[in-house]
Amino acid sequence: MTSVKSVSLLFGTILFATVIQLLPLSGYYFLWRPNFLFLVTIGWIIFRPNYWGIGFAAVLGLFADMVFRSPVGLYVLVFGVIASLPLILSRWLVYFTIVHRCVFVFILVIIFELLENAIFGLWGTPTDYRSIPIRALLSGLIWPIFDKFFTKVVILRP
Amino acid sequence: MAFNSNLSWFKPLVDISGRALLPVHWLAMIPSRLDDWAQSTFFSRSELETENSRLNQENLVHRAQLQRMGELAAENLRLRLLLNATELLGDSVLVTEVIGVSPSPKNHTLIIDRGASDGVYLGQPILDAQGLMGQVTAVFSGHSTALLITDSSHALPVQVLRNGMRSIAEGTSDYNRMRLRFISPTADIKVDDKLVSSGLGGRFPPGYPVGTVESIRHDSGANFIEVKITPSAEIDRSKHLLLVFTSNDGDTNRQIQ
Repeated sequence: MTSVKSVSLLFGTILFATVIQLLPLSGYYFLWRPNFLFLVTIGWIIFRPNYWGIGFAAVLGLFADMVFRSPVGLYVLVFGVIASLPLILSRWLVYFTIVHRCVFVFILVIIFELLENAIFGLWGTPTDYRSIPIRALLSGLIWPIFDKFFTKVVILRP
Repeated sequence: MAFNSNLSWFKPLVDISGRALLPVHWLAMIPSRLDDWAQSTFFSRSELETENSRLNQENLVHRAQLQRMGELAAENLRLRLLLNATELLGDSVLVTEVIGVSPSPKNHTLIIDRGASDGVYLGQPILDAQGLMGQVTAVFSGHSTALLITDSSHALPVQVLRNGMRSIAEGTSDYNRMRLRFISPTADIKVDDKLVSSGLGGRFPPGYPVGTVESIRHDSGANFIEVKITPSAEIDRSKHLLLVFTSNDGDTNRQIQ
């Protein structure tokens, strides 16, 4: 895949994730919505670890700070720290079955949410830990869509 | 985060990102706009007639209430003049539409389609049809950002409509819940009491509905009771809001600067 196509795909996925993230929802759907920007970040890191690493995750974290209007640096830290796990395990992760990768994403999102809530807690924001398992479960359940996209479009396209 | 709160270096970055993300917010609102358009376009004649009849009835009720309000306002003015008090000026409002919402459940903000060019200013109160929604926290030329009253960093002075008892209503990061802090166990407050803005502090005009007391809990040994409030405004549903231009706008602007 040429670098121009790769970069266009990268920006396309980020834009798509941002738009889905910003869709106005109400009630529990709003609380349970997975962090699509994070899913896209780990997707690129798992399937293109030679190109995109912790620096990339930190930059997307900064972008997430702008999108979520959180204190600048919060998501830089969370994205950077959590993205190191798929980066370290990326060699093995590509050989896992899709079910195993879903379980990995479920665990990763739980760690992500715990770290995010812990930092928000330090900041004085009340945290609701009850929604964490549901968000992680939903992230794991929708991961096959991301997985198919990354394996078919990002890896296999000549 | 420490940098964010202590240094002003990030402010231009946040301002630029606020402008740059506006088209993305616009894109994200497309499904909602399509839904509105479909609802307004594909209404059947019978549905329109039913709605028209309902609106006519509501209009009659509101006009009757308005007549009574006018009478009460005139009476209030006469009494104020008798007491030699200052005359209260009416608030003017500007209709605005929500064009973006914060995607994070921890950060309750909205983006509205009115900015500095429409006279919007920092700290301006925002209402919906049911009650107080929040205040403007960032103003751009064509749009603004508003912090909602349910955000955990927000607090506003309120009073109980029944007896005038004052308190502070705080956000809890839950769209359907707020709380009152430091209420004494002997305080005269009951479930279903209505709370309105008290006007103290000069930020919010007095008398606008804030919420209703949902529950009161007193843990033995605790110094204060825990009072939960349901906000009057439809915080996570309202699309069209009102920006309030209060009679002391100039003072408010000066305080912020």
